[in-house]
Amino acid sequence: MMTRAAALPARKIARRDTGKLPWLDPMVTPSLGVLAIVVGYPIVYTLVLSVQDYNLLSAEQARFVGAGNYGRLLSDPIFWKALGNTAIYTFGSVAVSALLGLALALLTENLGGRRGRLTRALLLTPWAVPFVVVAFLFRYMYLQNGGAINALLLGAGVVSAPVSWLNVSTLAMPAVMVTNIWAMTPFFVLVLSAALAGIPNEVIESARVDRARTLSMIFHIKLPFLRNALLISSLLMIIGNFNDFAKIWAMTQGGPGYSTTTLVIYVYRQAFENFAFGYASAIGVVWLLLLLAFAIAYLRALRMD
Amino acid sequence: MEARPRSAPAPSATRREHRAFFGSRPENIVRTVAILLALVWSLAPVYWMAATSLKTELEAASLSPTLWPHHATFANYLGLWGGSLPFASFFANTLFTCLATAVIAVLIATPAAYALSRARFRLRASIGYGMLIFRMLPLVVLLAPLYLLLLHARLLDSSAGLIVGFTTFGLPFAVWMLKSFIDAVPIEIEEAARIDGYPRWQILLRVVAPLILPGLTTTGTFVFMEAWNNLIYPLTFVTTLEKQTLPAALVLTFTGQFKTDWGGMMAAATVTTLPLMIAFFAVQRSMVRGLTSGAVAGA
Repeated sequence: MMTRAAALPARKIARRDTGKLPWLDPMVTPSLGVLAIVVGYPIVYTLVLSVQDYNLLSAEQARFVGAGNYGRLLSDPIFWKALGNTAIYTFGSVAVSALLGLALALLTENLGGRRGRLTRALLLTPWAVPFVVVAFLFRYMYLQNGGAINALLLGAGVVSAPVSWLNVSTLAMPAVMVTNIWAMTPFFVLVLSAALAGIPNEVIESARVDRARTLSMIFHIKLPFLRNALLISSLLMIIGNFNDFAKIWAMTQGGPGYSTTTLVIYVYRQAFENFAFGYASAIGVVWLLLLLAFAIAYLRALRMD
Repeated sequence: MEARPRSAPAPSATRREHRAFFGSRPENIVRTVAILLALVWSLAPVYWMAATSLKTELEAASLSPTLWPHHATFANYLGLWGGSLPFASFFANTLFTCLATAVIAVLIATPAAYALSRARFRLRASIGYGMLIFRMLPLVVLLAPLYLLLLHARLLDSSAGLIVGFTTFGLPFAVWMLKSFIDAVPIEIEEAARIDGYPRWQILLRVVAPLILPGLTTTGTFVFMEAWNNLIYPLTFVTTLEKQTLPAALVLTFTGQFKTDWGGMMAAATVTTLPLMIAFFAVQRSMVRGLTSGAVAGA
């Protein structure tokens, strides 16, 4: 810190001493300007739209309805269904992917040499497949007639007749989640492998000298070191999954019925199939608040350590 | 109960020893089987996509799927270019909008990331958190206002409109990721240039930028990948089929041409995947730091 302060031009030190730091730095203004237009303005506009009855298709002017849209939302069973689906989809797939990713990171930890590098790279492959492609690929494999997954399960005798995975309301959500888990697990492998490599050697060595068994080594030595990496990476993925549109839309469009309709799908349908921009915006605002509350709680947990 | 390892070697000085892939101890066998299973789980769907893309329409739709193409053919790929769909323009549109977004985002974000990392100003912390929050925003919440904004600016149905859309997530992402790369550059390196009286933007350009070149390309590649993955913006902002991007075109045409033509569908999917896969493996190694912004090390 000393060297840093000493390196600052005298002018800057004087400024800091008198508490007259500038509010902004010219170098951030281009980014701020662009974001103000493409993100700031839309957010403000969403707030405004959310208290209006605004339908792009109707000839009527937008009408102020106050909390009307929010009231409607509370008694909208599909909203609650979509909220529940979002929670199941997000937390279910993130929890399973994180566990799988952790297991794979631990399994491949000590693989050295070219074969080890190749193994790790191949395990990451699913993450390099675009979401829409993942969706169509699994849609093809889930086909009732001629789908690879049914052929496999029939061959192994797990099912006696081909299952129509994506067309049965109780099966569609788990099927989409399996797809999502396949695509997301490599992210956890990548981050957790990096975190494992960052554990100081001395810690591992002293545990080894104490003859710690593999399992107790994992639970008592490694997991505590992985805590922050796990928290941050699952936070990123939880937020990503809250907002996941491509996979669900390309696989089921939210169906059958509303069984895979998450909040993204519901807002999209309200806005761009019913053109009810006002109502869609109100859902968006509520969702934004939920997400913010969640992120803040999470970051708190992270800093507690 | 397992006996103490025979002729146990003293714990090696480094734990990054090369453990045999196919060891003989039960633990190693279990480990090897688990890794092989994981490899099958990860690669089988990708193999299935590639294999199906080489099958004839009849074979791809067969009720008893074949493990490999019995009559391998490139007809599906040729059909993409010669067919009724402007597939080449889908490809060009996606490549252009995603590349443009990546370049623009990195260019605008670099000075901001530098200032957030080095300069002292009152709003520094707030802007830093703001970028993080912007990065978390659900795109669908921005969708309606952004649609109206582009409508009034007459940018709907254009590449420029799409680039504006992609910038909403690309720019905050780039600022945050680049900041973590610049944070890792020791400030002492800049001192000589500072003492010589070079202005800040010159220091950034001549001293810092060359040092974070891998960071710049990783960030750019990442923005590129996110844009390539995006479906909701092209689906909403582009109405003419020729101007569509690949992901949206896959969704839109699936109901038409590809309804039963799974071979053609998988060929299109493979073409959509390849650029992303190349980009991914090019930056895979330096990806982690940027993604988690130092949190892995316990910041």
